Amino acid sequence: MSSNNSSRSSNKGRRVIRKKEEDVKGLSITSLLDVLTIILVFLMKNVSMEAVKISELPDMKYPTTMTKDSLMENPYVTPVKLYTDRVLLGLGNLLLGEPQDLIENVEKRSMMQEFFRNEWNSIPEDKWDDACLIVQADSNLPCGFITEIVRVGTNTGYQNIYFATVEEAEWLKSYNPAAGR
Amino acid sequence: MAVYRPSQARQAKSQTAPEEPNLVPIMNLFVTIIPFLMLMIVVGQVALVALNFSSEGGPGGGGDGGGGGGEPAKQIEIHLMLRDKPEAGLFQGMEIREIDGTKHQLPALQDRMYDFRGLNTLLIDLKERHPDTPEIAVIVHPEVVYDTLIRTIDLCKQNGFPTVHYKNPKNVYFY
Repeated sequence: MSSNNSSRSSNKGRRVIRKKEEDVKGLSITSLLDVLTIILVFLMKNVSMEAVKISELPDMKYPTTMTKDSLMENPYVTPVKLYTDRVLLGLGNLLLGEPQDLIENVEKRSMMQEFFRNEWNSIPEDKWDDACLIVQADSNLPCGFITEIVRVGTNTGYQNIYFATVEEAEWLKSYNPAAGR
Repeated sequence: MAVYRPSQARQAKSQTAPEEPNLVPIMNLFVTIIPFLMLMIVVGQVALVALNFSSEGGPGGGGDGGGGGGEPAKQIEIHLMLRDKPEAGLFQGMEIREIDGTKHQLPALQDRMYDFRGLNTLLIDLKERHPDTPEIAVIVHPEVVYDTLIRTIDLCKQNGFPTVHYKNPKNVYFY
């Protein structure tokens, strides 16, 4: 401030010519639009509606595989989620009970059969070949529970059964029994 | 450029300077769609392993008994066992039975730690000897952990046995 005042006082009487400000141009959104179009196309290519049904569950530990099979086109998916402490059926995550109930509880088992039958009957008859049962199970569960699910599924009529895993191309190389996996 | 015909001149007068298209509505659309798509995108993609079921009973039956016993296998079989019971032919590990009756035992390296490297080597050897066989059966005992089953199926598929049958060991009850 003081320097300004001093300069003004020293230049007293002299006409101050201010630099003419340039007009601010409007932002061109064409380049932004280009970027957005590329992102949009990329996202639309990657997003699969079917992937929502079999998305990775955050509180489940999946087994790892090197290979993967692609899900058939236009499938009628019935997911089953087997956690170590609960079993959830269908897209609505209907709570069936504990995994142990699949083997020990006759009532729960018949409930599961009934559920699978209802799901199966909701599929048009000409689409029965496209019906898929997707088992999402925790890697530490005993296979007896999985076998029970698969048994009921195949008895209902499901011919396509998939197990959800996480792809890891190098699991065999990194498999170390001494380290516990 | 000179305009000679009156009709052309009229047209030229009616033409206005090209205007920039109004991009605001399309921008609004994009701004709405992109977050929606980003919400739907699955970052950690789940892979799927397909199963095949044998016509002889599927997972509910099939199988040829536990460890040591049983008839000769109709296809190459991998038995996954967890319990140690030598008198019943059971041990913790894997037993691979060939069609001609040859058996290969791969005991677990540690508790519940199976010899997958050994299985991989054996499967490579089996594929070399049976190049036209696409089928293999995995017979899993109920107490074996799911992770072991999936890794075994994975190795079978990786080594040229794409049709993996899932079987349950036959339970025999004594009264």
